[in-house]
Amino acid sequence: MALNASRNDLASGAIFVALGGYFALEAMRYEFGTPFRMGPGFMPVVLGGILVALGVAVAAKGTGKPDTEAPAPWPWRGLVLVLGTILFFAATIRGLGFIPVVLISGLATALSSSRNSLLSSLVISVGLCVLCMLIFVIGLGLLVPWIGPWLRF
Amino acid sequence: MKTFVKILAAGLVAGSALSAVAVMAQDYPTQPVTIVVPFSAGGPTDTVTRLVAAAMSEDLGQQVVVQNVGGAGGTLGAGQVAAANPDGYTLLLHHIGMSTAPALYASLPYDPMTDFAPIGLVTEVPMTIVARKDFEPATLEDLIAYIKEKGEDITYANAGIGAASQLCGLLFMDALGTKMTEVPYQGTGPAMTDLLGGQIDMMCDQTTNTTSQIQAGEIKAYAVTTPDRIAVLPELPTLAEGGLDNFNLSVWHGLYAPAGTDQAIIDRLSQSLQKALADENVGNSFAELGTYPVPADQATPAALKQKLEGQIALWAEVIKAAGVSAQ
Amino acid sequence: MDLISSLALGFSVALDPINILYCFIGVLLGTLVGVLPGIGPTATIAMLLPITFSLQAETALIMLAGIYYGAQYGGSTTAILINLPGESSAAVTAIDGYQMARKGRAGPALAAAAIGSFFAGSVATLLLAFFAPPLARAALNFGAPEYFSLIVLGLLVSIALAHGSILKALGMIVLGLLLGMVGQDIYTGTPRFTFGVRELFGGLNFVAVAVGVFGVAEILRNLENEKEREVGVTEVKNLWLTRDDIKRVIAPILRGTVIGSVLGVLPGGGHILSAFASYSAEKRLSRTPQEFGHGAIEGVAGPESANNAAAQTSFIPLMTLGIPAHPVMALMIGAFILQGITPGPNVINEQPALFWGIIASMWVGNFLLVVLNLPLVGLWVKMLSIPYRVLFPAIVLFACIGTFSINQNIFDIYAIAFFGILGYLLIRFGCEPAPLLLGFVLGPLLEEHLRRAMIISRGDPMIFLHRPISATLLGLALLAVIVAVLPSIRKKRTEVFVEDD
Repeated sequence: MALNASRNDLASGAIFVALGGYFALEAMRYEFGTPFRMGPGFMPVVLGGILVALGVAVAAKGTGKPDTEAPAPWPWRGLVLVLGTILFFAATIRGLGFIPVVLISGLATALSSSRNSLLSSLVISVGLCVLCMLIFVIGLGLLVPWIGPWLRF
Repeated sequence: MKTFVKILAAGLVAGSALSAVAVMAQDYPTQPVTIVVPFSAGGPTDTVTRLVAAAMSEDLGQQVVVQNVGGAGGTLGAGQVAAANPDGYTLLLHHIGMSTAPALYASLPYDPMTDFAPIGLVTEVPMTIVARKDFEPATLEDLIAYIKEKGEDITYANAGIGAASQLCGLLFMDALGTKMTEVPYQGTGPAMTDLLGGQIDMMCDQTTNTTSQIQAGEIKAYAVTTPDRIAVLPELPTLAEGGLDNFNLSVWHGLYAPAGTDQAIIDRLSQSLQKALADENVGNSFAELGTYPVPADQATPAALKQKLEGQIALWAEVIKAAGVSAQ
Repeated sequence: MDLISSLALGFSVALDPINILYCFIGVLLGTLVGVLPGIGPTATIAMLLPITFSLQAETALIMLAGIYYGAQYGGSTTAILINLPGESSAAVTAIDGYQMARKGRAGPALAAAAIGSFFAGSVATLLLAFFAPPLARAALNFGAPEYFSLIVLGLLVSIALAHGSILKALGMIVLGLLLGMVGQDIYTGTPRFTFGVRELFGGLNFVAVAVGVFGVAEILRNLENEKEREVGVTEVKNLWLTRDDIKRVIAPILRGTVIGSVLGVLPGGGHILSAFASYSAEKRLSRTPQEFGHGAIEGVAGPESANNAAAQTSFIPLMTLGIPAHPVMALMIGAFILQGITPGPNVINEQPALFWGIIASMWVGNFLLVVLNLPLVGLWVKMLSIPYRVLFPAIVLFACIGTFSINQNIFDIYAIAFFGILGYLLIRFGCEPAPLLLGFVLGPLLEEHLRRAMIISRGDPMIFLHRPISATLLGLALLAVIVAVLPSIRKKRTEVFVEDD
């Protein structure tokens, strides 16, 4: 499809409009207040409106000027594994405990690079687990169980 | 049976310092005890906790670690302790906010009365009514007359919704039957800065924050909020002397365990708290802060329970009348 | 007491072998926690407070102060090496520092940061010694209207942070301002944009946002074209500053020191602006502004000097008035009290040995830091030769564990993932993350001071013009806009002429 506009500008404009719109609309539900006593809704409504306007302006500026560079490929494997790992870490750190979570997280992130084989990923995750234990739990006294309550029946 | 499995499991993860080892209450404590402070490090509550924690570690023979879980007016940290394992290794040290939260927060995920086992009161910090250095009224009587005359023209700083400084202001304005213009701040530090700079007129804050400034003559002090005059600032009259009878406010701090904690452990902790409060070092440091440890008969589960109950009822009324809500 | 004898007293305390030892421990710990993302000086000082019970008051406070400014020093290291800033000031260093590292110039970047920090720290300490009480008095003249105007000035000037589209940079600033408003409104207690999640009542965590939009987004960028090219640093060119580098960093370091010293004194958030302000100034004054954002050494030296100068002068309100400028200073107050000293205006008279001892120890500490850090440059640069496929899982894990360790709040980790993807998308579409972070740290301050100023003035916006300091700052802001717009107007006119020809 030949699009006579900058994809980048259209996309970032759209993100601005979407987020600005969310903040402004959500803030409409809060009290707007008076100039004397501005309510919690005042600033977000004003700033959200400005962001929407900026988003439109960014998109408008991009029309008629297609990007010169071809877009980079999407790093699907990285997106899923890196972001998935972070979410996994958050969801299980309290339940599973430090050692299992760091081992699994290290393994999954390492695998998100196509340059890592399964073996090298395993080596990396074990090494990182030991390193993190030394730095954070022993060195800095982070209060987190090594093996969490979920694994204790 | 379940205990047996737990011990087995504990054996499997031998070497892990924090694994939950099922032990009998008599042996308590066998591992470090954590006291959660529901505010950020460095505040008055944090300081009080660290002083008490250090003294309690000596008595318990285990390290007592202070953990700061700040946020949402102290309700995050309290909620975390309410949900913690009632094994005596996770405790909460909270102040007057424990009793105001039910009135301020409509959807509180815990009940202060039923989800906690009180251990004992720790300290009651008096509050002082202070103003910028060049504020007109000279005495407490002048001040009361001045406020009644000027009302909303006076700016009154507080440290945000539910802060002790806001509660004190609410009670004070309620007693006078007038309103001043409230100016909220993010904590007492910035509020004190603006008071020192003469940007705002008045504030009511704990002696922990105001004593040194009053003594240095950087701010003007009018009264203390306790029924009796206090030792560090003996020249300050009480509000009752100014005609506001029954005005009694102090920022009380209490130590709690999650509900369901073994009674033997509660007793052990209460005993340890009493010992810590009798410690000379703790007493001196508290005096530096402009406060004092509560007497031993107050550092008991029964006294804290009674205090909490009475205060929840009081604040429910005051906060509702003032129309304040943190949602 | 005259200054010479005061300083002599201070040095007799600071040069006590025990105090030198603890000062060293402090700056070493500070450097280490500064290098690690997440765990910052606040957490470290909080954890070490009980240990300091057993120490002398001077020794304890010298060590704790060392942790604080040591962390400012160390914070730039991870920002430069792996684009993972742990604090707002280091976020600025990351912009050009990381680009320098990618071009094999991590050594000069780290060296410039260390030298700038040392110089700025020493000069700011001198200011602290000579002018602390009058400076603190002057800072008290800053009320809500002045802070509001200062922040407006800061935001307008900082558009220079962008090296691409100005519109996009503005959008990122506004988005940052809005993100800064997530959490409980301090005036009414209304929770905003929290989806009812109590963990968000306190707002989004800066480290989580910064680690997301800088660190994680950068990893995702690097995984894009992995098959075709090796990411990371290919060759290390030189470890030390070249003659040309030295010439280029002198003026930025001097300017950064001035900017940081002035802003650091303001207790209401001035120090946050210092690194951003210095970066903007350097870009404006540079003869080669197009190099900024692609590895300009001025963009590292200036902000690093500014942030270290501010770190020292932010002790001024604490030591002379007993008021904290930020959370670390609040902790220091706690440390004073635990030692049986009530911080306040009387410390300088009642505890001269302590007051001057801490000041003198800052020179000792800054000297120790430079001795400690310069040899480390080689070691850090070697670390970059670790293949990226090994390095990035480490970055992800450090980011998660470090952020978790701040408040034990798992929502902070969810926030990393959210800002990782948002930052990645925005960067991919040509927006830069630094203005977003600036907006994020200034957003809550902007709103807080605006609303407070309006309450104090009873709704009269003229308060911003009636107060002389505020009016001057707004005038400067207007001037900044005119200066920024004029060249483009002039350029348009010449373009028009060209076309006419």
